[in-house]
Amino acid sequence: MARVVVEGWAPEYGAPIEPDDALAPAEGSVGEDVETADWRPRDGVDDGVETVAFVDGVRRVDARLVIDDPEAGPIPGICGTYAVGAVAWDRRRPASEVVSDQVARLAVLGGGRAEALPATDLDPPYTSASTPATDPADLLRELHTAMRRAEGAVASELAVGSFVIADGPLNELVRRPCVGLVKTHRVTYLSPERNRVVRELAPGTRTPLFTIADYRRYSWYVRIARVAFGHGWSGIVRCEASGQLPLEEVARLADRTAALLPLVASAPHLDPRAPQNLVPIGALERRLRHRMGDQGLVVRALREAAAREVA
Amino acid sequence: MSPSRVGRVLGSEHTSTSAFRVVIENDEYLQLDDLVVVRTHVPKVGEVRTYGIVTEAEAIYEGATYESDTHRVAELGILPAERVRTARVAVTRVHPEVWVAPDPGEVVERAVGDERAMALYADEMQRALPVGLGRDGLPVPLDLDFFDGRKGGHMSISGVSGVATKTSFALFFLRMLTARPDVVGEGAASLRILVFNVKGEDLLWLDRPNRFLDDEARAAWRALGVEPEPFPSVRFWAPPRRRSGDVIVPDTSARIEGVEAFAWTPREFVDEGLLRFCFTDATDQRNQIPFVLERVQAQLARLAADAAGIPGAIVLPRDGRWASGARPREPVAHREDETLLVVDLASLADAIGWFLEPEDGGEPPYAWSGRTGGGTIAAFLRRLHAAVGRLGHLVRAGPSRRIDRTAANVTVVAIQTLPEQAQRFVVGALLEETFRDKEETGQRLPLSVIVLDELNKYAPREGTSPLKEMLVDVAQRGRSLGVLLVGAQQTASRVAPEVLENAAIRVAGRLDAAEAERAEYGWMLPSTRARARLLKPGTLVLAQPPIPVPLVVTFPFPAWATRREEVDDPGADPFDGL
Repeated sequence: MARVVVEGWAPEYGAPIEPDDALAPAEGSVGEDVETADWRPRDGVDDGVETVAFVDGVRRVDARLVIDDPEAGPIPGICGTYAVGAVAWDRRRPASEVVSDQVARLAVLGGGRAEALPATDLDPPYTSASTPATDPADLLRELHTAMRRAEGAVASELAVGSFVIADGPLNELVRRPCVGLVKTHRVTYLSPERNRVVRELAPGTRTPLFTIADYRRYSWYVRIARVAFGHGWSGIVRCEASGQLPLEEVARLADRTAALLPLVASAPHLDPRAPQNLVPIGALERRLRHRMGDQGLVVRALREAAAREVA
Repeated sequence: MSPSRVGRVLGSEHTSTSAFRVVIENDEYLQLDDLVVVRTHVPKVGEVRTYGIVTEAEAIYEGATYESDTHRVAELGILPAERVRTARVAVTRVHPEVWVAPDPGEVVERAVGDERAMALYADEMQRALPVGLGRDGLPVPLDLDFFDGRKGGHMSISGVSGVATKTSFALFFLRMLTARPDVVGEGAASLRILVFNVKGEDLLWLDRPNRFLDDEARAAWRALGVEPEPFPSVRFWAPPRRRSGDVIVPDTSARIEGVEAFAWTPREFVDEGLLRFCFTDATDQRNQIPFVLERVQAQLARLAADAAGIPGAIVLPRDGRWASGARPREPVAHREDETLLVVDLASLADAIGWFLEPEDGGEPPYAWSGRTGGGTIAAFLRRLHAAVGRLGHLVRAGPSRRIDRTAANVTVVAIQTLPEQAQRFVVGALLEETFRDKEETGQRLPLSVIVLDELNKYAPREGTSPLKEMLVDVAQRGRSLGVLLVGAQQTASRVAPEVLENAAIRVAGRLDAAEAERAEYGWMLPSTRARARLLKPGTLVLAQPPIPVPLVVTFPFPAWATRREEVDDPGADPFDGL
């Protein structure tokens, strides 16, 4: 077996990819008139839901690896840490608290290799995964997917007792009150005249539901804040819910998001991604980054482990 | 979990041998002045206990980044954050003496029982006198060795007036001294305390119970090991009322019975060289007045003979020398053409004037003037005559009425009615007397304690005067002679530094904000200084050499009356019904 070496380069180097939040639907797969054909902004309805859980995850590439294969040459790999968790907003008290935070470490080796990673004494330890790809972006995507899966598991679990708002598109489509929140709009789903309705939304209102058939989910737009000096789509988020839920239930969840999301929208001076990066999610991300541990310490542990291996 | 456990040593910042922080458990609290202990395992040494005192308590929302996040956490509830309470601890002691910082994450316990004694070094104090109650309601010890001269001496009390701290604490301390012979040990019975009453008549009721004493205060006194009773052995002295003719009545208003009038005879005045305490103003020290004073004092001591038939009076020969050469041992009958009769300060001033400004307008005799210029002599006499007006009534012939400091444990001298110059005269004369007595015996015991408020008047930072020199002398040498000064002042910065620096025990009540920042209060921690502006009556900060940090203590409401209205049974008023 070839030796695994921890690369001296900064792990961020040469990985300028942003795993995409957008789901590009096939032409004609968006159903616009599922809720109503009367496309006008609809007011949100606060039905007094008691607990809202916000689910999110963060990830980090800790170090780049190289499998020093005498024949095949250097084969890339990455070591990454991700953390997923949730904040529960108890609206009766009212107070929020972090109710779940989990950390995992994953070493992704390219070229379908399965070399053993030097053992570190980190808690939690690294688990290994392998992908046939050798492109650094694909390795990163592997880490991202693992995080998204973990997020999905947390969201599904919490959706049993509370209303869940998960950061990013939905990963698990289950019959539970779980809404995905997409902050950026790289793909447009609606026809041009319906897109006009999105621009007209006032804070606390939403568009009627539409379906994205390819991905078996309902979706709708909500304006969570009016942004000074913004464009027509600033302050807009796209929500989605599982296609397995009945339409009336989805409409109720949609009304609820339109009423509640403006309450937790962040302000531009607090968060560079305001208003879409919600206050509880921003706090959760800070907590999760903290829980991932210091990157310098992780790299040091990896180096020490690799050095022990050589010795 | 130990019941005294309150938290853990904060690990997100450095601990040190002088301070550390505690993260407090959710169901516990720490307040200022609480005592804590941490056990750290030190390699090759074993367990090292670090004792400390809480100097600040803090709380914050951890996770809140912006100030407005407070609303998001507490009101809207949309931001998760954790309330974290911490306390800063100043280390008082490390035991055994291995100076290492406590380990982060170690359990912090409240120091109770023996641990509390360790934190306050009470285990090392041979004579621990309770000197107030800590925040926990338990006595705080004072190492008496640092007051009574064995290892240190004197006490300095600072604080703004009107908060009833300085004098009240001084008296409380005296009560503890007199009521705990078990602690004071040798010399307790013969303890002599001289207290000057400089304002109001607060101290004229020390022997009377206070009727406002409540059960809480009684409990506090008993916690200190003393029955809540007034001073058992007190004598009160006041100057004679002026213009009262031949009847000598003490000059007090609220209380007359039990107060004795004091005065010095011309004989005592001359023998003890009290003339110099008539020149205690700082301006008296300029030019050559002290030189003339010295001459005059020497001449008086050389020539003054007892006057026949008038006890305490003296006669001086008009021509400046006795026919027999030396001063006659036997009383001399006054003869108007040959002698000058001195029966009070006015006649003494006249007699001095006789020599210094001869009636024939000639040069004054060298022995009296030392050939000082006429201007200086005039200035000297002008001041002397001014003194006659202010303190003349304190010197009079007749039976000796000097203050008997041995008659009781506590001698209160009421000088509040006297003008400032006369107050300085009385203080100077009594200090001189006390100090001389002790110098003669050379013994530390019996201890003499002198309580003097408004020390800045008597030993000001600027200028010199015989009184200031006297006090500096007491401060510097009194410790070994058993003369102990309990000095009080509003502003320590206005008191001669030599006097302050020699006080081993330092106490401060509420301080003016600007005053608290001065270097004179460098012995306080920054946190204590900040609090010194807010101290309530009956609370003060106390520093003593054996404990490296100042402690905040409270002392109980006095068991004795401080005004007539407080007297439990004022006794039959002889003027009742008039």
